[in-house]
Amino acid sequence: MPQPLLDIRDLNIAFNTARGPIRPVRDVSMSIFPGQTLAVVGESGCGKSVTALSVLRLIPTPPGEYLGGQILFEGRDLLKLPERDMRSVRGRDIAMIFQEPMTSLNPVYTIGDQIAEAVILHQKVGTKKAYKIVEESLCDVGIADPHRRLGEYPHQLSGGMRQRVMIAMALSCKPKLLIADEPTTALDVTIQAQILELLRKLQKENGMAVMLITHDLGVVAENADTVAVMYASRVVEYAKVEDLFDRPQHPYTEGLFRSIPKLGSGVDRLDTISGTVPNPAKFPAGCKFHPRCVRMNGDAKCATVEPVVREVEPRHWAACHHAAGYENAAGTTPVLDYKRQVTLDVLDAAGGVM
Amino acid sequence: MSDLAVGQALPTGAPPVPDRPLVARSWLAGVVLRTVGQISARVGLVWIGTIAFCAVFAPLLASSYPILLRVDNKWSSPLAAHLTAVDWTLLAAVPVVGVLLLLKSLSFARRFGIFLSITLALLTILLLTLDPKRTNVYDQFRALDTTGRVQSIWRTPIPYSPSDRLRDQFDAARPHPWAPSRDHWMGTEINGGDILSNMIHGCRIAMSVGFISTGIALVIGIFVGAMMGYFAGVVDLVGMRLVEIFSAIPRIYLLLAFVAFYDRNIYIIMAIIGVTGWVGDARFVRAEFLKLRNLDFVHAAIAAGLPLRSVLFRHILPNALAPLLVSASFGVAGAILAESTLSFLGLGLIDEPSWGRLLDQARAGGGGFHWWLATFPGIAIFLTVLAYNLIGESLRDALDPKLSGGQ
Repeated sequence: MPQPLLDIRDLNIAFNTARGPIRPVRDVSMSIFPGQTLAVVGESGCGKSVTALSVLRLIPTPPGEYLGGQILFEGRDLLKLPERDMRSVRGRDIAMIFQEPMTSLNPVYTIGDQIAEAVILHQKVGTKKAYKIVEESLCDVGIADPHRRLGEYPHQLSGGMRQRVMIAMALSCKPKLLIADEPTTALDVTIQAQILELLRKLQKENGMAVMLITHDLGVVAENADTVAVMYASRVVEYAKVEDLFDRPQHPYTEGLFRSIPKLGSGVDRLDTISGTVPNPAKFPAGCKFHPRCVRMNGDAKCATVEPVVREVEPRHWAACHHAAGYENAAGTTPVLDYKRQVTLDVLDAAGGVM
Repeated sequence: MSDLAVGQALPTGAPPVPDRPLVARSWLAGVVLRTVGQISARVGLVWIGTIAFCAVFAPLLASSYPILLRVDNKWSSPLAAHLTAVDWTLLAAVPVVGVLLLLKSLSFARRFGIFLSITLALLTILLLTLDPKRTNVYDQFRALDTTGRVQSIWRTPIPYSPSDRLRDQFDAARPHPWAPSRDHWMGTEINGGDILSNMIHGCRIAMSVGFISTGIALVIGIFVGAMMGYFAGVVDLVGMRLVEIFSAIPRIYLLLAFVAFYDRNIYIIMAIIGVTGWVGDARFVRAEFLKLRNLDFVHAAIAAGLPLRSVLFRHILPNALAPLLVSASFGVAGAILAESTLSFLGLGLIDEPSWGRLLDQARAGGGGFHWWLATFPGIAIFLTVLAYNLIGESLRDALDPKLSGGQ
C-alpha cells in the first residue's frame, strides 16, 4: 500500500498578537500521495496559506507558534526536524511558488543568477553546469530564447513570464512536492490557463505531487484529485473532487457552488453567502459558520456545539450537524485512516499514475 | 465603401524604427546612473576625483626628491628610492583598476574582490621586502643643482616634500610662515614646510579617514541592523538599546580622551570615528530589513533552502543598500570633519601632513593670524565636505521615486 508523501495530522497554529492570540489553523488534517493534486479551497484568511507555509516551516516564530500536530513528509515529522535538515528539504524535496509573481523574484539579481544559486546548493554542481540546468528548466516552462533571458532582470519580464520563471525555479531541483500558493490569482485569464496547463504537464512528466492553494473553484475542478475546503481555520469538507462537486455536504461548500454563475441559467443576480467571514480574533461559539448558515433554522446545537469532521458518506468528510448521515457517523474511525483510501481510489481510477 | 478604405497602405516617409538591443540593467545600476546624471553629483565627483588623484600621485606631484637625475653621466631616481610600500601600492593600484574596468565579463563584486586581494597582497609583500631610505636630506638636491655637476634633472611640479623645512633657505630676517609667493604658491607653514605640498599629501589622510571609518561604521551598522530587522522581537529590543547607548557617546570627547591617553595613531582615530558612527546606518538597515523580510522573494529564498547567510546578505541586503548609500556619503563628510577638528585642536597626527593641522597653525604663530594657513586648508575641507553632501543629496533624489519620475 503506498504511503502518503505528505500527511498533515491535526495541525494547530497560533499567532500571538498584541491583542491576544489568534488561531489561523485548527485541527487541520490532509494528505497528498505521490503524483496527486490536493486543492485547498477557502476564502481569504481561512488559514489555507498558513497551512501551506507551515509545511516548509516558513511561519516566523514568534509571533507564530506550533501548538500541536504533525507534518509527516515521507514519514519524517517536519516540525521536529532541526533547521539544518529542514534547509535540505526546502527547495530539494518540497518547493513552493508564490501568489504574486511581481514580488517573488529578487529585483537585484538576473533570472539566471537567482535560479542557479539553489541549483548549485542542492545539486552540488559547478557554475557552468548549473547554468545549463537553469537554461533547460527555463526551456521546460516554455520561455522562448532562454539563453538571453538568463541575463535579464525580473523587471524586464511580464507577469506571466515571471510566474513561469518562478515555476522553473521551483522545478529546477525536481522536487517531490510542489506547493503552489494561488499561482494564478495575479494573472489574467489566458495566462492562468497556460500556467495551469504547464503545471499539469510538468506534474505528469516528473511524477510530482502538488498542493494547490486557491479560491477559484474552476481551477479546482480542472486540476485537483482531492479537495479540502477550509472555513475559519478548520477543514469543513474533504472529499474526492467528483464527490465534492456532485454532492457537497457542508452548507459553506454549497454556498460556494451557488455563487458560481452558470451559462444560460438566465438569473440576474448571483447568489451570495450572506454575512462576512468572522474575525479570527473573535470567532462565534459553536459552528463557526452558523451566523451565515441557511440550514441552521434556529437550531441551538449549531450555536453551542462545534461539529468535528465525520465521514458522512463513504470517503466523504464534512463537519455539519445537519449534513445527511452526520449523526449516524458518530462512532466512525478517525478521518485519517480513511483518507488514505480516498486517495487510493483516485489512484485506481487514474490507472495508477505511480 | 470607398476604394481608399481597403487595402491601401498609409503613405509614410519615416524610416522604420530600428530595433535597439535591450541592455540588462539592475535597479541599483539605474540609481547610480540617475545620480551621475545630476549636475551637483558631477561637481562633487569631479572634486572627489581630484582629491583622489592627489592622494594617489602625491609623491609624484610634490617632493623634494627629483624624479630623474643625471650626475656624472649616471642616471638615478632619488624619488623611487624614497617611495614607501604604501606609495608603490597606490601607484600600482591604478593600472590594476584600469585592467579590471576593461574586464566587463566579470561581475562588479568579483572585480572588487580581485582588486582588494591584489592590492593587499602587493602591500604585504612590499611592506616585508621594501626598505626605503629613511635619511631625509631634502636640501642636498638643491645644493647639488647649484654646483653645476647636474647634467639633467626632472623635478616634480612642486619641488618640496611636505616635511621639507627649507633649512638651506633659512633667513633670520624672514621667519616662517611665509605668505604666498612665486616659489611657494600657498605660502609656508610655521616650520617652513610648503603648504601646497602639505595640502596634496594631506589628501591621503582626508580620503582614508573618510573611507575607512565609514567602512567600519557600515560593517557594524549593517550587521547589527540586519540582526535587529530580520529577527525582530528580543534581538531588536536589545539592539535598539545598544543603538541608544552608542548614540549617547559624544564622538569628539571620546577622540580627545583616547588621543590624550594613547598614541596619536590614525588607525585608532579611524576606529573611534567608525565605532561612534554606525548607529544611523544600523537604524536604516533595520527599517529596510523589517520591511523586506516579509516580501515574497525573501520567502522564496528561504523556501529554496538557502542558508541564512545567503538570505540575509545576498537577498535582503542588496535591496536595502539604497538609503545606506546616502547615509554613507554624509558619514564620509562627517568623518573628515571630525579628523580636521581633532587636528585643529592640536591633537591630530604629529608628522603626517593634514589639512586640520595647517588650520591649527593659522592662529598658533605668535598671536598673529596667517590668512593663507586658514584659507587654503579651510577651502579644501569645505569643498570636500560639500562634495560628499552633494553626492549624498543627488543619491537621495535619484532614490526618490516621486522626483525621478517627474523630471
